[in-house]
Amino acid sequence: MAENIFRKITQYRNFGLLVGMIILIILGLIITPAMFTMDSIISMLRNNSIYAILAIGMMFVLLTGGIDLSVGSTLALTGVVSSLLMSTNPGIPAVIWVLVSILIGALCGFVNGFLIGKLNMIPMISTLGTMYAFRGLAFLISGGSWLFPHLFTPGYTWYSGGNFLGIYNITWIAIILFILAAIFLSITKPGRRIYAIGTSSESSKVSGINEGNVKILSYTLCGALSGLAGMLYTANHAISFYGMAEGFEMQAIAICILGGVSIVGGKGRIDGIVISTVMMAFISYFISLLPGLSVWQDAIQGGIIIIAVVINIITLKMADKRTLKEKGALI
Amino acid sequence: MDNKNLEIRDLKVKEKFTIKKFLLRWEMILIYILVLINIVLMISKPNLYFEASTIPSIIQSGMDLSFMVLGMIFILMLGDIDVSIASIMILSSMVMGLIMDAGINSVIAVICGIIAGGLCGLFNGILVAKINMPSVIVTIATMSLFRGIVKIVLDVNVLKNFPEVFKTLSWHNLFGFIPLSLICFLIFAVVFSVFLHKSKFGRELYMIGNNKVASKYSGINVEKVKIIAFVSMGVMSAVSAIFFVGRMGGGVSSTMGKGYELEVIAIAVLGGISTSGGKGKVYGPVIATLIMSFLSYTLGLLGVDANTRKIVTGVILIIAVLIPNINKQLFKNIKEFLLSKKINN
Repeated sequence: MAENIFRKITQYRNFGLLVGMIILIILGLIITPAMFTMDSIISMLRNNSIYAILAIGMMFVLLTGGIDLSVGSTLALTGVVSSLLMSTNPGIPAVIWVLVSILIGALCGFVNGFLIGKLNMIPMISTLGTMYAFRGLAFLISGGSWLFPHLFTPGYTWYSGGNFLGIYNITWIAIILFILAAIFLSITKPGRRIYAIGTSSESSKVSGINEGNVKILSYTLCGALSGLAGMLYTANHAISFYGMAEGFEMQAIAICILGGVSIVGGKGRIDGIVISTVMMAFISYFISLLPGLSVWQDAIQGGIIIIAVVINIITLKMADKRTLKEKGALI
Repeated sequence: MDNKNLEIRDLKVKEKFTIKKFLLRWEMILIYILVLINIVLMISKPNLYFEASTIPSIIQSGMDLSFMVLGMIFILMLGDIDVSIASIMILSSMVMGLIMDAGINSVIAVICGIIAGGLCGLFNGILVAKINMPSVIVTIATMSLFRGIVKIVLDVNVLKNFPEVFKTLSWHNLFGFIPLSLICFLIFAVVFSVFLHKSKFGRELYMIGNNKVASKYSGINVEKVKIIAFVSMGVMSAVSAIFFVGRMGGGVSSTMGKGYELEVIAIAVLGGISTSGGKGKVYGPVIATLIMSFLSYTLGLLGVDANTRKIVTGVILIIAVLIPNINKQLFKNIKEFLLSKKINN
């Protein structure tokens, strides 16, 4: 019985990730004890909540077998628009800007989804194009100007900096989104359909799923989430300009891959993303604390992704072998 | 006897040459676009256009990343993608700069830089071909890995000691009006087109791009071909580094050249290379490179700022990919419509 439980634990997909994180935490405790004050962990989570929200959206897209390179640009566009509107109409309650940014993001995502789902473009290329286009649009709308902290209303920044039970609001939003996404992906019909077309687009077509519509849905959701992230990003840093969040798409993809989402589609769970987000946060925080290591950030992140994928492939092969063996024993 | 058998088996399907088809080919459409941009430029800024130095400098402005476009053709042909090229470019220019700083011969520096680029490509290739990792993931990871190495080595320093040849190569005009960089680019393009269109290796590339499994069973060493393609991509990035450093006036820091990879992919796709593999020719991207440099220069002259140019680049990319797609669907719809009519009759 005990052996059985042990085996189940080690076969759990994210076992490796958890072990890695525990090693990291122990290392951190030994080298920099200052890392583990409650305050620093909470503020670390606050700064990484944006990545978490983007990673959820990216996961929807990766599950269909696509990719979305435009999330960083969507974030910049919605951030610029919502903060500009906020600074010109400071009297209006900030909830409106949250809704506006989600709407704009969803529209951006819909454009991607339409190009990919209905016009059959390759995801990589169409989102590459919209990545340029949205970023340029952000510049056009803002006129290249920056918004500085004194222009931000307290109601607006409350969405990131506000406090509830000692944890910042932005982290709460990320946590709620994690739960909602888990429910959406595991229980609802559209969620299961996202998995279905990612696993086999042919057989899902035969079983009557409209592939184009599901793709549009997943890209729109991804856009809406990055739109929300745009508003939260400007609220978090109390600054907005068109060039912000460049390269965030790669960060989101990296989190998804580390969390076990397959890039060819159909595989991946929310719990993996939760763990990998926290792990990425720990890694970057750890690196920033150690003196002289900040230049290593890029190299370490790249190395971690490669190692994670290699381990992923090896464990998949081992699992295949195991099932083959078990089948052989049955025969 | 053997010869006769071969002749029978060699089923050459040669399409008849028709002017209409020739004029509607994608490469020809690209040439029309290029001419159109030239006309716009000519009409809007006539004094500038007919100055002797304008056109060479326009062409030179796009030549630093053109070499990577050639390498990208092979990669896209396989159905793979490489987004680490800008990082490879910076890495190999860093190697060149460091060796020059050490006071060693400039020829050795260039060779070492190219070897460094090749090794980076080999690393990508092995991960993609041998371990079977998706190329998007591998190159996203190596993008930050290679740039991370440059950041570790250089930190915030700038390398300034580069051979003078680099500057001459990217700024000098032969006879006063033919850019040296264009000549180098065309030589490389000819070599690449011979490889792609005339050699066994090129045929294998097309075949793997069209059907990887079938080509594996027909005896093609897929792994080897993939690794060669990635290594050549790395080497071409290193060649690009020479011209990039020259254009930048001989200074390299760790944050330079970000976003080049996407521009290169955009040019290759505009040139008619399919990203799902197995389609495209070398001439297309060569013309597309010229289009991009003319376009960004023209828009700049017309007072459009760099960020609006980004929108234009993105929209052009989408339209370029959409046109053949929509065409195909239109033809399909028409065919189905006619077929249904026939059946009804």
